[in-house]
Amino acid sequence: MATVLKPSKTDVTDVELLRRPNFATGDVRLPAVKDYEQVDDEVVATLHPTVAWFMGLGVAIFFLLIGASAWMYQIHEGLGVAGYHPPVMWGVYIITFVFWVGIGHAGTLISAILYLFRAGFRTTIYRCAEAMTVFAVMTAGLFPILHLGRPWKFFYLIPYPNWRFLWPQMKSPLVWDVFAILTYLTVSTTFLYIGLIPDIAVLRDREKNPIRRRLFSVLSLGWRNTDREWRHFSRAYLFLAAFSTPLVLSVHSVVSFDFAMSLVPGWHTTVFPPYFVAGAIYSGIGMVFTIIIPLRKWFGLKHYVTINDLDAAAKLALFTSLVVGVAYMTEWFVAWYSGNAVEQQFFANRIWGQWWWASAILYTCNMVLPLSLFSQSLRRNTTWLWILSIFINIGMWFERFVIVVPSLSHEYEPWQWAGYRPTWVDYAILCGSFGWFSMWFLLFIKQLPIVAIAEVKEIVKPRLRTRHLQAVDVTGHHAPFMPDTPGEFD
Amino acid sequence: MRGVIGAFRELDSTVEAIDALKHRRLGEFTVYTPTPRHEIEHAVDAPTSAVRRFTLIGGLCGVTFGYWIAVWISDYWPLVVGGKAIATWIPYTIFGFEVMVLIGALSTVAGLFANARVPRITTTVGYDARFSHGDYGIWVEAAPDKIKETEELLRKAGAVEVRVER
Repeated sequence: MATVLKPSKTDVTDVELLRRPNFATGDVRLPAVKDYEQVDDEVVATLHPTVAWFMGLGVAIFFLLIGASAWMYQIHEGLGVAGYHPPVMWGVYIITFVFWVGIGHAGTLISAILYLFRAGFRTTIYRCAEAMTVFAVMTAGLFPILHLGRPWKFFYLIPYPNWRFLWPQMKSPLVWDVFAILTYLTVSTTFLYIGLIPDIAVLRDREKNPIRRRLFSVLSLGWRNTDREWRHFSRAYLFLAAFSTPLVLSVHSVVSFDFAMSLVPGWHTTVFPPYFVAGAIYSGIGMVFTIIIPLRKWFGLKHYVTINDLDAAAKLALFTSLVVGVAYMTEWFVAWYSGNAVEQQFFANRIWGQWWWASAILYTCNMVLPLSLFSQSLRRNTTWLWILSIFINIGMWFERFVIVVPSLSHEYEPWQWAGYRPTWVDYAILCGSFGWFSMWFLLFIKQLPIVAIAEVKEIVKPRLRTRHLQAVDVTGHHAPFMPDTPGEFD
Repeated sequence: MRGVIGAFRELDSTVEAIDALKHRRLGEFTVYTPTPRHEIEHAVDAPTSAVRRFTLIGGLCGVTFGYWIAVWISDYWPLVVGGKAIATWIPYTIFGFEVMVLIGALSTVAGLFANARVPRITTTVGYDARFSHGDYGIWVEAAPDKIKETEELLRKAGAVEVRVER
């Protein structure tokens, strides 16, 4: 059953629509997009605010205010209200910090690594993923500050000449984190903005409102689409992608060092860096699905973000879930094979003891449910992909819970063993982080294009006066595929 | 600056006009395209972008600074642990790498701006809003005695609109 598209209301009849279903072929990746003007018209049309958008923004701000209020309460009362109880002095804040940093990674993978690998399916989803990265890292960056007893002194971690003549401990993983996260945020934001410049120029040239037009003029930096600009732009974009690629691997490796550099059971393991990176990409793809599947429906962009693109991304999610699964099994094996009684005890407690329920959620969401993606029909069923993405998000939050809490609550000395129960402040700040992320994302999608206009035009056939089949690169290398399956997100 | 601007609907017409302009040497020209196209890049045959030099120099400066700041801080404010080096290069590779990426990426952007000549204050001369939409364009900085010839060339190649601008 083919998806009936509504690409352009101006000049396409219903009969024509039925004749041009959403089927990619070997040389046409976006069959329902006929020219550059259609790309501009349809993508720019998504920028008009709607009542539903205002309501969504209101809900996001409400959640943000809940989180902000809880933080103010915590500053007044002290960190004790956050559910910390010796020996568990890392809890929801550090879990959520790692969670949000991880969410960001898929954006960079899709926008940078897949760009270098010339993976065509990234073109239509990368802008959404990259924006998600920036806002997720902005959210993550708040949590180490929230976790401080005196959050107003967070800048002590930044090495700069100061009147205290004090400098940070450069061998501390927490200082490595500061460098890694700040670099990641800066490079991701730069990458997003540089990619946006030609699209902002499109908005500038179409804008009627003089104030917005002026604003877009400034933001587009006077971009004119000249051959000179494109030549240097393409090269700069390539290098930014090349820089971002190792950054994806390094940032979450550095985050994993926060744990792996310690001697705590369950943390002191060399598998952590690749395990964290694979988990980060897996969780990020989950969040991409959570966001892009409703957006492509609400914005009428199903003929841009095609089932083929989602299918390819689902294969990536399946692959990373398998990598994560191997990492879990490696942890168990190493604990058993090491002969270390503390390590073995800890894993027994994690899986069958005190924290069995958290481990059960984690393994179900991250190892069992993603196996459904071996089925092509489920990979192409957007309803299932969206439901699965929610399980992935939950599973990956619990993965970090299982890493942080069981280790601290079950260290070497039995008399130290304890429990952990988050308080309402933890939950409120967790909600606030989702509100903060959603607020920025919602503001973004109605101010700037969620689909990269200039890059999508690259995969649309250019208009030709005469036929030059051999001379024109149409950049389409997907195999023919089955029509959209029932279960399309409606 | 006086010249002729031509707007084209088709990619192959634009490429044909570029080839003819290069052959006839009527003046310096700028091509506008809504999206980068290899066909236009090949027709223009411009030299390789110099952005790579900015990237290399920025990256090298970054990695040097990253290692240096970590070593300098450790020496300036030593945290002495028996049997351990004050400054050690293995963990400081993290700083070297991160700062290399940071400065290298920002230098790349600086290289883009310097080479592509952005930010630009005005887009009005020799530009038309349709060039960011769906049409291609060519702006030729022709001498006054070659204006007529340039207009004819662009029309013959398939320009849908040709006008003289100053």
